Amino acid sequence: MAERNEVVKKLEGVFQDVFDDDDLQIQDSTTADDIDEWDSLMHVTLVISIEKSFGLTINASEVAEFENVGGMIDLIVRKLNS
Amino acid sequence: MKKLKIEFKEIIREKGHKEAFDFLFQNSNPELDYPEQYKLYKLFNSISCESLRLKKIKIAILPSCTVDHFVDIFKFCLAGEGFDAEFFVAEFDTIDQTILDPNSGLYSFEPDVVWIFTNYRDVKIPADAGASAEEVDLLVEESVDGRIELWKTILNRTDAVVLQNNADQPLERVFGNFESNVPWGNVSVLRSYNMTLARKTISGVTIFDLDYISGVFGKVRWEDSRYWYHSKHAFSMDAIGLLAFHASRLIASIKGLAKKCLVLDLDNTLWGGVIGDDGLNGIKLGNGAIGEAFVDFQKYVKKLKDRGVILAVCSKNEEANAKLPFEKHPDMQLKLDDIAIFVANWDNKAENIKKIADSLNIGLNSIVFVDDNPVERNLVREFLPEVSIPELPEDPVDYKSCLGRHSYFETISFSNEDESRNDMYRKNYERKKFQQTFTDISGYLKSLEMEAIVQPFDDFHLPRITQLINKSNQFNLTTIRYSENDVLKIMKDNNFATFYFKLKDRFGDNGLISLLILNKKSSEELYIDTWVMSCRVLSRGMEEFIQNELIAFGKQEGFSRISAKYIATSKNELVKNLYHKLGFTMEKEMKDPFVSDWVYSLENGENECKVFIKRMNNT
Repeated sequence: MAERNEVVKKLEGVFQDVFDDDDLQIQDSTTADDIDEWDSLMHVTLVISIEKSFGLTINASEVAEFENVGGMIDLIVRKLNS
Repeated sequence: MKKLKIEFKEIIREKGHKEAFDFLFQNSNPELDYPEQYKLYKLFNSISCESLRLKKIKIAILPSCTVDHFVDIFKFCLAGEGFDAEFFVAEFDTIDQTILDPNSGLYSFEPDVVWIFTNYRDVKIPADAGASAEEVDLLVEESVDGRIELWKTILNRTDAVVLQNNADQPLERVFGNFESNVPWGNVSVLRSYNMTLARKTISGVTIFDLDYISGVFGKVRWEDSRYWYHSKHAFSMDAIGLLAFHASRLIASIKGLAKKCLVLDLDNTLWGGVIGDDGLNGIKLGNGAIGEAFVDFQKYVKKLKDRGVILAVCSKNEEANAKLPFEKHPDMQLKLDDIAIFVANWDNKAENIKKIADSLNIGLNSIVFVDDNPVERNLVREFLPEVSIPELPEDPVDYKSCLGRHSYFETISFSNEDESRNDMYRKNYERKKFQQTFTDISGYLKSLEMEAIVQPFDDFHLPRITQLINKSNQFNLTTIRYSENDVLKIMKDNNFATFYFKLKDRFGDNGLISLLILNKKSSEELYIDTWVMSCRVLSRGMEEFIQNELIAFGKQEGFSRISAKYIATSKNELVKNLYHKLGFTMEKEMKDPFVSDWVYSLENGENECKVFIKRMNNT
């Protein structure tokens, strides 16, 4: 079973890498509006980096549906545990 | 990657930006996935590029898919080839409008390269099932003719070269295998489209082989429908590195920065074992799995030589031992004649490679060094970071594919000179040796029995003329680059006069080695717009011979003076004093420290330079 808090920690690392900011912190409520660089292009980079780090595949409709980081974490946990 | 980032930051802090830049490219690899490529790109972005002397290049991309992620990585790869790229990316799917509208941003951008970035989805050829080969051909031609019109529009309105993607074969097939068996099958139609594109390509246009890249990457991985439906990415994000790498190599070749020379180690690189220890019968070459692999590697190298890559040997060996297999081994594919310069001694290889570059008159950045020994590779990397050095795999059976995968020797044309280049360099080396037997230079020059041909530019020599204009860096007074299309325009323009020069001597034919583009600025003034010369004929009196031709032409056409410019670059120091040497006077005030203006009066009496080159009238 993947623990939610472990996923959060690892995901935070991915965010820090992608947005090149070692101090960046994420919360369930974080959305694209909270991070300046997070536009639709960076969204693709972010999703691909998540796929690589967690070794999972996110399908096309899910790519578009990520509304906030909480939803992202839930999806990752669900995929890792299925 | 985390470790790389830390190391990178350390280098930037402790050594400098140039070192950090070299470090990044030594750690980059076209096969890295997209997130890793992106991280390299971000690190690259933190380097101050001013100290790197990158060449500015403007690239316009007209895409039918999303290319933003690609553009970042492409910029990174281009920097590895020596370019500081600036991009114009047209709005998604507006290729035709952007090209046809004379007021579009494409034209105000003044691009050096225009890349029509299409994929198979853009090739809409409505061949009915059961259509005849003739019917399909007609439809394909019609589709390609549409492309040609667009190319011509770009070529007429810009000085850019055009890159056009061919069609990547899609994965899915409606009729399965049968699609390639009948002319109307989608697989056949796309193949025919690609063939027709290549066949009908016009001067100034290069087809970018997207289908090859997709094959190298693997079609199953190439097609990533998620990102097509989500954000119109036409292929897998992980293919971006490979694509950007190959495109950068091609652009380097278009801009005259392709590799020219392959420097080879011998023991365990061209054969298995050590010739000095194992002897002629003991080295592995010809028999057995490894022996066969070395033979095939040599065959590949020989093919590179046959298409114009210069070969040199750099080996730690006694010279006699090193040459033995070339002379005596029945399975050697490479002969001594194939090697332009053979260096076998115990000096350090960085020194030797520097000497090889000097005697061939080529830059270190046009050299590729192949050595099985990681210690030698690292030593050369350390001292000569400009030299390209593939990380050779442990197993010799993979040498060939390793060298092939790096695509060092891209080209966009092929001329007769290419075929015999190695030969010319080798003979040049003989000439140098021969020169040592003479104490006075005129005796030497006389004995060369040189003959030159002088002609205005013609269509037949156009590919070589364009190549020389774009490849010459050292003997190049103004370093203005002209595409084939530009040269054609100049040839037709009455305000210009053009000459090319071929040189032959007792050792062989040097081919077309120099050219002049002269601009008739007024009835008085004849201006040297372009003068380039191949460095392999330096110090043979060719400069003086050409000066005599210039004077004769100027007088015959009634000009009173010849004017000229020297525009300094990082590579043309060689000709800084050329005009001074030829009797030109420098204009007093230099406005720009990198540009000097020169003038030569035709009104003084006889002042022909003495040369030992006989002028021949025709080819």
